[in-house]
Amino acid sequence: MNNFLALVQNENMKIYRRVRTWIMFGLLVLLTILFGVLFSLDGGSQRMSAWDALDQLSFLYYLVSIYAAVIAADIVAGEFTWGTIKLLLIRPWTRTKVLLSKLLAVLLFTLAMSAVFFVIALAVSFLIFSNEPSQYLGDSPLSRILESLLYSYVDLLVIAAFSFMLSTVFRSSGIAIGLSIFILFAGNIFTLLFHPSRYAWAKYLLFTNMDLGQYRGGQVGPAGMTLGFSITVLAVYVLLFLAVAWLVFKKRDVAA
Amino acid sequence: MELTQEPVVRMRDVTKRIGSKTLIDRLTLDIPRGQVYGFLGPNGAGKTTTIRMMVGLMSISEGDILIEGASIKDRFEEAISHVGAIVENPEMYKFLTGYQNLLHYARMSPGVTKERIWEAVERVGMQNRIHDKVKTYSLGMRQRLGVAQAILHRPKLLVLDEPTNGLDPQGIRELRDYLRALAREEGTTVFVSSHLLSEMELMCDTVAVIQQGRLVDVKSLHPEAAEGRALETAFDVSDPQRAAALIEGGHLEGGRLIVSADRKAVAEINAKLVMAGIDVYAIQAVTRSLEDQFLELTGGKDIE
Repeated sequence: MNNFLALVQNENMKIYRRVRTWIMFGLLVLLTILFGVLFSLDGGSQRMSAWDALDQLSFLYYLVSIYAAVIAADIVAGEFTWGTIKLLLIRPWTRTKVLLSKLLAVLLFTLAMSAVFFVIALAVSFLIFSNEPSQYLGDSPLSRILESLLYSYVDLLVIAAFSFMLSTVFRSSGIAIGLSIFILFAGNIFTLLFHPSRYAWAKYLLFTNMDLGQYRGGQVGPAGMTLGFSITVLAVYVLLFLAVAWLVFKKRDVAA
Repeated sequence: MELTQEPVVRMRDVTKRIGSKTLIDRLTLDIPRGQVYGFLGPNGAGKTTTIRMMVGLMSISEGDILIEGASIKDRFEEAISHVGAIVENPEMYKFLTGYQNLLHYARMSPGVTKERIWEAVERVGMQNRIHDKVKTYSLGMRQRLGVAQAILHRPKLLVLDEPTNGLDPQGIRELRDYLRALAREEGTTVFVSSHLLSEMELMCDTVAVIQQGRLVDVKSLHPEAAEGRALETAFDVSDPQRAAALIEGGHLEGGRLIVSADRKAVAEINAKLVMAGIDVYAIQAVTRSLEDQFLELTGGKDIE
């Protein structure tokens, strides 16, 4: 039995040795700086607090969600597209372990991207804007911002798991990227169409539970939905996605 | 050939069904140790399917394949650790360098050191280009890199699926010499599939012929080792009719006298003919090529 971490290291190598990944990093940094500058140019917001600016910049975290979907979409499908899956699966490792190493690599990527984003956004906010008390976020702005970023991170994980499943089932990163990003953005529309206050069953839908931001500051969602309820529903969905991915990956004949 | 030793691979009634189609039908085959073993058949005969089952890429519907005694179904990790393979084209991560590709596979097998990676690189003669990205490689270079990744962990069995596809004559020759050297020097058993008969004839010790998913024949290709064996020999002579009457057991074929004879008998027949005043222009051994034999075995049948 040799080192499982070596497998994760391999997956990392395949993510970070690609130019694409560094373009993603670069774009994230550039856009964060750009929006920071744009906010400061906006007349009248000269007096904007650095905390409020940071909160505003948080919308760029969508980009990290998209990246996560892209990486998760490619990590299995890519091997099939390149044909390298045939060489990857004939090593003394079961398919379950190979898949697990890919999942871990995606998880590490989302953590790294999130950390980079937070550090850059924090730096931009405090370099451009002054460190004044927040006008909107109350007494402990940092914890409010971290709370909503954490909610966004949970959404991101759901999207990544969804994309990972599609990647495994369809062996096509295009379908996986497309559908995941569609879910990411069309979720709100579905929630409007099938609102839990109108349809009782709608509160078990993925989309309805996706926006954890609705519980910010301890609020209660529509039809009595709570943060705990939504997290449970999301966890069930994520486990379902991963189980499907695992079963398909384990059983599939690798042909062509 | 050490016939006393256990075969490296044992296939027992291996069957592959997809839907109602039977791709491989009760294939039973032993691959002896230390040989270059050919797996021959027309396109669509089931060569690649068999190889994919051997390396665990496809499930086996019925039967089992044992590699060094371990079932690829039940003890996959153990069985596969004895195997190095290239299944179809040697597809590599194009955005990585050749070396990074090898490092990737080295990490997945126990005990493959940096020195061993370099050894494999030298073995396939890729020292000068190993740190270039794979996307800049020619097919021949990718094939070499493919062989390097397959031998990294010193497998007892090397499985190559149509390895000469797309290679130029120079590349084919290099690969052939290389595989023979590997079998001879390191005792690696090489299992190689192909539909190119001439290729197999030059490379293999034994060939198994497969047709429509069934094993048709297993042939040893270098029987010359058996001394004193009678070979079909053709005599090109001035008077074939008289020669045929003179030599017992001889018959005419295309104006030549054909006799089954060993070395000694050939010399005697020659003397006999000359004594009888018949001019002998040429004496040739008639080796029916594998191609003839192959067509005989599989000829006339269509792909189902």
